[in-house]
Amino acid sequence: MKHTMRSASFAVLATATAVALAACGAPGTANPGAGGASSQSLSAPAEKSGTITMVTKFADPKYAPYFESVTKAYEQANPKVTIKLEQVGDQPYKDKIRVLSASKQLPDIYFSWAGDFANKFVRAGLAADLTSVIGPDTEWGKTFSPAALKAFETKGKNFGVPIDLDAKYLAYNKSAFTKAGISGAPASLEELIGDCDKLRTAGYTPIAFGNQYGWPAIHYITQLNAYNVPPDTLAKDYDPATGAFTDPGYTKAVDQFKDIVTHCSSKDANGVSHEAGQANFLNGKAAMHYLESVEFQALTAKGGAPKQLADNWDFMRLPAPQGAAGDAGALTGAPDGFMVNAQSKNAALAVDVLKFMTTQQNAAKLTADIGWLSPVQGSATSANSFPQLQSALADISKANQFAIWLDTVTNAEVANAYLSGIEGVISGSKTSKDVMTGVQEAAAKAKKQAG
Amino acid sequence: MSASSPTPTPTPTRQTKASPTLAMTANTPAVGRSTRAARRFGARAMRLAGWLGLALLVVAVLYPLLWMVFSSFKSNQEVFANPWGLPGKLRWGNFGRAGSAGVVRYFVNSVLVTSASILTTVLFSAWSAYGLVRLRVPFGGAILGLLLGGLMLAPTVALIPLFGLLQQLHIYDSYWALIVLYTAFRIPFTTFLIRAYMIDIPPEVDEAATLDGCSPTQAFWQVILPMCRPILVSAALLQALFAWNEFVFALVFISTGDLKTLPVGLMDMQSRLLTDWPVQFAGLTMAALPMIVLFLIGQRQFLRGLTDGIGK
Amino acid sequence: MSTTLMRWRSLAWVLPALVLLLVFVYYPIVDNLRLSLFSWNAFSVAPTFVGLDNYRTAFHDPIFWTALWNNTVFAVVSLVFQVGFSLVLAALLEEFVHQRLRGILRTIYFIPAVISITVAGILFSFLYNPEIGLVNRLLGAVGLESWQHSWLGEPSTAMGSIIAMSQWQSIGYTAILFVVGIQRIPKEFHEAAKVDGAGPIRRFFSVTVPMVREMTTLIIILTVSGAFLVFNEVMVMTAGGPSDSSQVLGTWLYRNAFLNDDMGYASAIATVIFVITLAIGAVQIVVSRRRRIQW
Repeated sequence: MKHTMRSASFAVLATATAVALAACGAPGTANPGAGGASSQSLSAPAEKSGTITMVTKFADPKYAPYFESVTKAYEQANPKVTIKLEQVGDQPYKDKIRVLSASKQLPDIYFSWAGDFANKFVRAGLAADLTSVIGPDTEWGKTFSPAALKAFETKGKNFGVPIDLDAKYLAYNKSAFTKAGISGAPASLEELIGDCDKLRTAGYTPIAFGNQYGWPAIHYITQLNAYNVPPDTLAKDYDPATGAFTDPGYTKAVDQFKDIVTHCSSKDANGVSHEAGQANFLNGKAAMHYLESVEFQALTAKGGAPKQLADNWDFMRLPAPQGAAGDAGALTGAPDGFMVNAQSKNAALAVDVLKFMTTQQNAAKLTADIGWLSPVQGSATSANSFPQLQSALADISKANQFAIWLDTVTNAEVANAYLSGIEGVISGSKTSKDVMTGVQEAAAKAKKQAG
Repeated sequence: MSASSPTPTPTPTRQTKASPTLAMTANTPAVGRSTRAARRFGARAMRLAGWLGLALLVVAVLYPLLWMVFSSFKSNQEVFANPWGLPGKLRWGNFGRAGSAGVVRYFVNSVLVTSASILTTVLFSAWSAYGLVRLRVPFGGAILGLLLGGLMLAPTVALIPLFGLLQQLHIYDSYWALIVLYTAFRIPFTTFLIRAYMIDIPPEVDEAATLDGCSPTQAFWQVILPMCRPILVSAALLQALFAWNEFVFALVFISTGDLKTLPVGLMDMQSRLLTDWPVQFAGLTMAALPMIVLFLIGQRQFLRGLTDGIGK
Repeated sequence: MSTTLMRWRSLAWVLPALVLLLVFVYYPIVDNLRLSLFSWNAFSVAPTFVGLDNYRTAFHDPIFWTALWNNTVFAVVSLVFQVGFSLVLAALLEEFVHQRLRGILRTIYFIPAVISITVAGILFSFLYNPEIGLVNRLLGAVGLESWQHSWLGEPSTAMGSIIAMSQWQSIGYTAILFVVGIQRIPKEFHEAAKVDGAGPIRRFFSVTVPMVREMTTLIIILTVSGAFLVFNEVMVMTAGGPSDSSQVLGTWLYRNAFLNDDMGYASAIATVIFVITLAIGAVQIVVSRRRRIQW
């Protein structure tokens, strides 16, 4: 009895140690599971049954219900399938997906921004190659706008299913413009800055701007970089393996942004959230607001905007500076999309769910329900959308190219250097030179890691 | 500094404890002999300054909290237009909306994790305290040393390895992850707390129990544990305060929205309801009130626990 | 013989605690040292051994130094408030205040310590908000518009604003600890001093301060180690921004681990935190050793 007691306690201790040692494996070694997506046909699941896990970044109560209802509809059509949908917020998603990836718990379907963010998963072998089902020549692929498909293309292969089209526009309050004696949308950045001064004289905050998490400013910089830096240089710099950021256009872009803050906004912006800034545009205190087309719904009566504004706004692209060296036809924006986990046991089923989500009918529902533009061709009609949304769609199709969000197109180090630098520019603690020095250092570090 | 708990100093030696004096020291100004008037004036000024300071601090502490409660009844317009005043009417709907935005869910999670970790922590700590104090386990000194070392190890430092470890054990992203960690990291402190109290229980008590034919196990459950009740309550309260407010582990090791505890959940909610000020205030109020009420109910015990447990 | 066996059996009593401690506290801390010698991230297929590279990175990383500086400032400011100010507060409470009121005041001062840091942090984010915040409105009301700031949005004020919130939250807590210490002072000391004609201020310095020395030591240790482990406050209020001006070691670790995809570097920062807290702990042991501990 006494003996067993003693040996039992040692056994417990030994197992505990064994458990601890088992965890001693090298950190983060991915073991591509057998039977992953690579080895199965994606075109059609043998039997529509099983569980699909899916994580999105659409926890916002404005957007969440759409994804809930579409997944529910799929479950109803296929009773043997359960979709475990988890939705987190935009900001938390960035940590969350990394945590899931590091812990080998990547869901079957996960959200991704276009650019380096998506490429991270591709490089690590965590994204299924969907070329066979969504390539530009496939039946499914043909239903998308080509530019949207291309945004998720890496080395000629397709890795993502675009779910929405999103571009950044400067919305303006028409009656504020009239009151300040401005005849129409400014044709150049210089003109815009002049208009800001007029609006301030008329008692308005020219541009509502909240930069609490740093990304709203990064969208300005994305657009200004595209205007000031030649496209080839830009592509080279945004690639972590070749980034240098030495072109003078970058410094110019930051200086132009500084002008916008000085004349059109305030140095308090870092302490205000983007949404709180938006509130000032909605209630008519601010004359303009730089926002994404996916947010347009918030400016309509249906989205809860006050009538005074809802009937009275239009939008323009952030005007390009005169004589800019870059592409004046570039538009900040990108499709967002979903990727399929390369190690998913149910990859074919996951693809089927995404096909369902991007049928003409569900794409139209996306536009009708939450006012987003879908990359599925012919999905926005006057029946399911409002005028500004349709003209945004027309404008997006006119754009020379998408300037993908700076914080997702390039690697995290560079994005963070920009983020933190620009926050300093707003509050007046950093100059454009400081910012670019920081970015160049980060790019060098990223190059070392990529190399 | 967070409101975690003070580190108990491992001191078996014990002076007689002065129980908190409740008698008032009469505040008659010292009667001087020579400069009575001047001194009296000085004392008056002192008192005035002292009272003023105390009153100011009351305002500084209470006003933000009251503002939070008032704002949770306001409309969005009112928060902007009339930040100082009382709400125009009591909008209980804000609380309903905060509840459905997740506060209730987070609240339940916090209660679950907190109560489970109180149970495990106090139980395991009481066991090990008993083993160390009464049964003179082999290597007692070494074990005590390990516990003492455990007092100084910061959770943040273990973050990244724990991440892998919890996945290996398949408890990542579950209540268990938090319960296990809250227990493991708090055992050293709680053990010392209970141990200090147990040492003071006279050995005759055990001897009497043994003479009655109790095994050590029976003596523990039937005699020692009941005698330790006051310190167990304090330990439970301190653990509650810790687990209820813990943030780092709750942030990193729980990824499912439905399993989040209050501290992290509230932050999440803030990023979802960025411009719905009153609902956010309502959520904060809902999160803060239970703990305040619990403290008001248990404050006497709590203070005694502090008095007993530290710096003896 | 049987007593020896009994003693071995008694190990079962400490086993659960010991296993948990070794597996979840000691092993990860040791493993962290190993991990800090690799370069790896959440997506990496295979970690590469880089030796002390991560530590070199830290040495040349300006934000690492900013973070360390912020932790230090946090510690110093907290010492002033949590040790100096709250001892005075405790003495005032004990010296002046009528018994019933004393209990009420103690309770009020303690309340902020009971609400979680997250609640306090979000609440203060509102107070500091440039648009709805009471702080700016208060300054405006008394005609100090020039002092208004976007408190959490400017590098020069963000960290200070966080520290201020933290003091608000902790002062009642430490004051209560001091009250406990003051109540342990035998009454005769104060009586004797009174007979000698010492006024309240003299008595504070000649009786109270020396007599609560042990509690003071404890609070200093608590405050300093707490200041180097700060995470929650910063995460909730600024997440380290703007321009990384309010990064502390904890948040910088988190940022590198989960946002900059540099787990190895994050482990190296964790090691630095470990060394600092260990040093503080060692001081604590030395100090308490001086008070004749018998094992």
